[in-house]
Amino acid sequence: MTQRTLGITILALLFLGAVAIPFTGNGYILSLFYTSALFTGLAYGWNIISGYAGYLSFGQITFFGIGAYIVAIGTTRFHAPWYLCALVAGVFCAALAVPMGWLMLRLKGPFFALGMLGLAQSLRISTDLIPWTGGADGIYLPPGSNGVQVYYWTLAVLILAIVLTATIDRNAFGLRLRALREDERAAGTLGVDTTTTKVKAFILSAIIPALLGGGYAWYLTYVEPSSIYSTEIELQTVAMAILGGMGTLWGPFVGGILMSQISQALSTKFPQTHLMIFGALVVALLLALPRGIVPTVVDKLQGKRKPPEPEPAPLAQTEVVT
Amino acid sequence: MSALLEIDHVSRSFGGLRAVNDVSFTVGEGEIVSIIGPNGAGKTTLFNVISGLFPPSSGDVRFCGKSLVGMPTHRIAQSGIGRTYQVVRPFIRLSVIDNVAVGALAHAPNYRTARKVAAEILDMVEIGHLAETPASSLTLTQRKRVEIARALATRPKLLLLDEVMAGLNPTEVDRMCGFILGLREHGIAAVGSIEHLMRFVMKISDRIIVLDFGRKIAEGTPKEIASHPDVIAAYFGSPLET
Repeated sequence: MTQRTLGITILALLFLGAVAIPFTGNGYILSLFYTSALFTGLAYGWNIISGYAGYLSFGQITFFGIGAYIVAIGTTRFHAPWYLCALVAGVFCAALAVPMGWLMLRLKGPFFALGMLGLAQSLRISTDLIPWTGGADGIYLPPGSNGVQVYYWTLAVLILAIVLTATIDRNAFGLRLRALREDERAAGTLGVDTTTTKVKAFILSAIIPALLGGGYAWYLTYVEPSSIYSTEIELQTVAMAILGGMGTLWGPFVGGILMSQISQALSTKFPQTHLMIFGALVVALLLALPRGIVPTVVDKLQGKRKPPEPEPAPLAQTEVVT
Repeated sequence: MSALLEIDHVSRSFGGLRAVNDVSFTVGEGEIVSIIGPNGAGKTTLFNVISGLFPPSSGDVRFCGKSLVGMPTHRIAQSGIGRTYQVVRPFIRLSVIDNVAVGALAHAPNYRTARKVAAEILDMVEIGHLAETPASSLTLTQRKRVEIARALATRPKLLLLDEVMAGLNPTEVDRMCGFILGLREHGIAAVGSIEHLMRFVMKISDRIIVLDFGRKIAEGTPKEIASHPDVIAAYFGSPLET
């Protein structure tokens, strides 16, 4: 069996397994897999702007939150079906990401990361203060929540995110993203329209959490600012994507599934201290695998097959500037 | 020869420092022009102004008759000005061929075509065998070649080579000379900046422009420049009065 057919077989089995989960009729298992699909999907969304384009964001939860609130408000005030509201949320966040990205992506490195964090926090506080969002009391969604529906929705968004990433991984847009991640100025002088390229990446990284947030509101049946614009969800997503391997196709998948399962097992076993243990685990894994799981494993596998490079990494900085 | 690039009374200041001060010259199609001058003469600043990294404080830069002032960097690159950097900056986590494919995307419709173009250019600069190597594991000489290949992939009419000889040994300098002379056959003009290596400058330049403290102090053929009193003064100091 070639590597490719093996890979496709594994993916097909995983897919069938994921589709079959609701048929177990076990609510706990469904919630486990829902959470994994949700976090993995969020990690994929984050990976485009932060992994491929290199703009580390601590604020993509903003779009998740907006998605959740659009569904909450749409279903309670306008009695619209939740999935329609979630689709509207995707479109709305795509549109919102254009001016927001254009503005925020002028910030570089830590300034962008902090700027996005600030944006998410200010939105959370605004939601607290504005009456028609339910303020700090939140909104109870109308009855009819259906975990299976939301699970399939989330699974569909996750698959969309994977297909999208697989495309980006092998196309011109993805190459431009990786180039500007490495050196934005050099990319510009090679004809890459860096502003447009990164705003496009930002749009994609806004649509995915918006769609997922929409489902999340319907799943929880209740939204309130601090549990929706949740720093905990944001940081876990970021940790998963980084641990799996930023800017790789399978990094968010491995990191998302693995860490969300571990995190859930920990929170059942150690309800008081699970975040502390999770944090320690993240630190330990990052020390052991600084580039993430997927790149390290890929290197190990390729190292066995390929002979070592004849001329290994000398002098980048030793150039004599005469 | 019609003028491809026109530098028209360009100045660029940083705070109180006039890095480039009222410089004018033109470059014709397929011409090889060297800009020489000691460290800090304003060579790199001039290149940065031409490639749009920052605008001139005053003056105009025209390419094929169109002003480049205020045009975004990528548009300048797409319109036919390629450049290399003094401190080479390959995309180190990308493979060599992907590095070059980024430049090729300026004209190639998709990734596959861009890689095909990139492979041809890598063969041209004799590093085809390194295509799949990550740029991080290249030597300086190889990095310089990637840098040039990348710029060539944008299909430039004019190539700005910033200190392309710096850090190369004499054999490599000779090969680089051959390569730059080869550009002419492809109808590509080149402007190179260079601090030392007069031997090389004399050999390949059609014209030489001398900068000193941001000002153009001389312009002419290699022969004229070699005997120009201001140039001699800038490089070797004024003769002692006895």
